[in-house]
Amino acid sequence: MKVETTQSPAEDLMDPSSAVWSDLTSETVSLSPVPLEAQPNEYIRVSRAAKPYGATGEAVASAVKNGEQLFVRLEWQDDASPNTEFADAAAILTGKGDEIQTLGSEDAPVGFWYWASDREQSLSLISRGPGVVRNNADVVTSASASLDGGRWAVVLAGPSSEVTDNQIGVAIWNGSNDERAGLAAVSGWLPLDTE
Amino acid sequence: MSKQNKNRQMAWVIDLNKCIGCQTCSVACKVLWTRDDSEKAQWWCSVNTQPGEGTPRGWENMGGGYDAEGKTSQIGQQPTPADFGGGFEFNHEEVFYGGSAGKVHLEPQAPREGRWAMNWDEDQGAGEWPNSYYFYMPRLCNHCSNPACVEACPTKAMYKSEDGLVLRDESVCSGGRFCMEACPYKKIYFNYEKHIAQHCIGCFPRIEKNVAPACVRQCPGRAVFIGYLDDEDSVVRKLIMDHKVALPLHGEFGTAPNVYYVPPLSPHPLKEDMSIDTENPRIPPEYLEGLFGEEVHGVLKTLQGEMDKVREGGSSDLMKTLIVYKWHELLGPFTADPADIIVKG
Repeated sequence: MKVETTQSPAEDLMDPSSAVWSDLTSETVSLSPVPLEAQPNEYIRVSRAAKPYGATGEAVASAVKNGEQLFVRLEWQDDASPNTEFADAAAILTGKGDEIQTLGSEDAPVGFWYWASDREQSLSLISRGPGVVRNNADVVTSASASLDGGRWAVVLAGPSSEVTDNQIGVAIWNGSNDERAGLAAVSGWLPLDTE
Repeated sequence: MSKQNKNRQMAWVIDLNKCIGCQTCSVACKVLWTRDDSEKAQWWCSVNTQPGEGTPRGWENMGGGYDAEGKTSQIGQQPTPADFGGGFEFNHEEVFYGGSAGKVHLEPQAPREGRWAMNWDEDQGAGEWPNSYYFYMPRLCNHCSNPACVEACPTKAMYKSEDGLVLRDESVCSGGRFCMEACPYKKIYFNYEKHIAQHCIGCFPRIEKNVAPACVRQCPGRAVFIGYLDDEDSVVRKLIMDHKVALPLHGEFGTAPNVYYVPPLSPHPLKEDMSIDTENPRIPPEYLEGLFGEEVHGVLKTLQGEMDKVREGGSSDLMKTLIVYKWHELLGPFTADPADIIVKG
């Protein structure tokens, strides 16, 4: 994914509908469900065996760098059902290792810049497997979102220094399908082509 | 099956023959632990009329737990806020300051249709006059020995304490709510403002100071006992293991619960000609069997036999234990007075 450097102010970049974003090259990212067999306990594996999750098949992503901050804009089609108990959510994944499909592992944790539609603040998390997350107070992230015609547009921002091996990943949770924790759709690592 | 490092196991025994449904345990717990606005609908301890739909509504049919051997996870349903009900706003302003004294009454500001709350079906029970029947049943987290909630938690926020309590590290809980699905007793709530699940913590800060949990200490009927199962002097051990008159609720859920119940005896029903049917109890034994398993029949026989013995002038250690002449006996080792505890800071 091409990552340009911009001088645009952070306030503009945090606005998903800002004209800044329309000038950037975007990329369609394929997502697939976190494997059932990787879920962290028997209860989740048994209870989700007949209940598909992670059905958000793709998202459109673009990214831009401003100083030490990386801003990533995600856009995807939400399904038409209203959320009841769980929120729609998205995360930018940072880190390395082969285990992005399982949202990291004990030996190769990944970072989450995490946004959820029912939270006022974004979170920074460390994920060591599907749903196996801890808060990471060391990393400050921010997010803003808009919903237009059933399409979410979300901007997530965090320190570029957290991006290792020049790659990021994307995960999306569909709240109306009771998706949370490890019940997500996730991409592979996306190489960043930084200016 | 979850594998826990268990040192000791705390247990409760609740004598349903003595529970008068006063909700003092519920309120004692409420004012201690769930006073925050975000916890309005939470009743970690609740007393319901049985038979009834319970709290949350229909909880007995929401699944979760394990098979009867305690091995295979059973799919559970997460209770909704509507199932728990309550947390109502009331028309205080209108009643107290609206100038309509006597005409407007306090009423939940929620649609009448579908309204529900803890113990909403109080005293309805079952049966037809003159043989209608009901009893009260307090419920709290069962602090199970094989807790399905602990197994289902992906972040390992839930764990068994050294005292055998099922606790939760709120700083680790990510709000996934799998615990609520997996708990077959549906005694876990979700706090939508704090984004964490919450449940009875066995008053562990009191336990650490040798003060009994609020539901035990505040019960005016002396119906609730507490202690450690491995303590040979504990009353709970005596009732569960020696006298064998205290049974787990829905043991078939496979989680090895540690809240035990002394099942309720009941008067005889009346026949159609209004004579007393001395052959049967008013509460159908099959209903109690559905709650406490087949052993309930033997327990009821034992209780009745011991009562009869005392009525005939004899002595019964079991009856003395259940009557609780000395209040401190039901507190187990937790006899400290909370008024004597100095809280620093």
